[in-house]
Amino acid sequence: MVGKRLKASERRATILAVAKVLFSDKGYHGVSVDEIAGRLGVSPAILYRHFASKEALYEEVLNEIACKRESYVEVVVNSAGGFGDVLRGITHIYVASVSKDPDYLRMELQSALEGSDATRQFFENRWRPFTDLIEYSLKELAGQNRIGPVNGAVAALLFQGMIREALYAKCIYRSPRYHDMDLGALVDHLIGLFFRAVGYVESLDPGTLPG
Amino acid sequence: MADFDLELDARGLNCPLPILRAKKSIQTLSTGQVLRIVATDPGSVKDFEAFCKQTGNALLASAQQGGEYHFHIRKA
Repeated sequence: MVGKRLKASERRATILAVAKVLFSDKGYHGVSVDEIAGRLGVSPAILYRHFASKEALYEEVLNEIACKRESYVEVVVNSAGGFGDVLRGITHIYVASVSKDPDYLRMELQSALEGSDATRQFFENRWRPFTDLIEYSLKELAGQNRIGPVNGAVAALLFQGMIREALYAKCIYRSPRYHDMDLGALVDHLIGLFFRAVGYVESLDPGTLPG
Repeated sequence: MADFDLELDARGLNCPLPILRAKKSIQTLSTGQVLRIVATDPGSVKDFEAFCKQTGNALLASAQQGGEYHFHIRKA
């Protein structure tokens, strides 16, 4: 409930938090401003004081997520710089971050169902660090005959599919099949399978990622 | 005369690639030499600030021009 004594910034934060839960449950199209206001116990007019439209509210929910963008700088600075090293490092950072936010994962799923261009682009951008790193690195490694020819875009899709599914299985479906498996260990195992699938041998790449 | 010793074109690349390539490029420089990086990822501004803070290299300049971000980093 949003009480009258809330400061504007607190009220705004509460609206965003409630809207995020509703958008993650029902998607953008499944939620109305009236419903968000009802859940908050305020009139729609109060909501419109803070956000011009439902679209603006949804955009702000996404903006908040974007502002929490994971930093991968430390991984690069502290790693030897090999493709495997870096991919493993950034994946663990991403997984640790989004696994704490199942609503975010649900929003990603809802976005896929709704097929909106704007949200598709937003969620695609969140995966760009992985898809770009994989495509670029595999191309260079193949050019140096260190792996066989691999379609980088398809490999990136394979990787994304594996990690997404692991996150959904553990954080949304809570599948009993993987109940005894720690998310980090599951992801690590999947990364190992991915490397085998693309013919990449980590031990033969001690920090000589193409530059 | 250019005010840098090596230029890295990181346009079109998203983190961590610009940082990764910068790290490798800096390894080829001697202390005091300057690497210029051109990037298009808006996140690169924060990323190169963090990179310099963590590596001890000096971020001499960081500027936006059109849709591009230019960085000058002096190797420590």
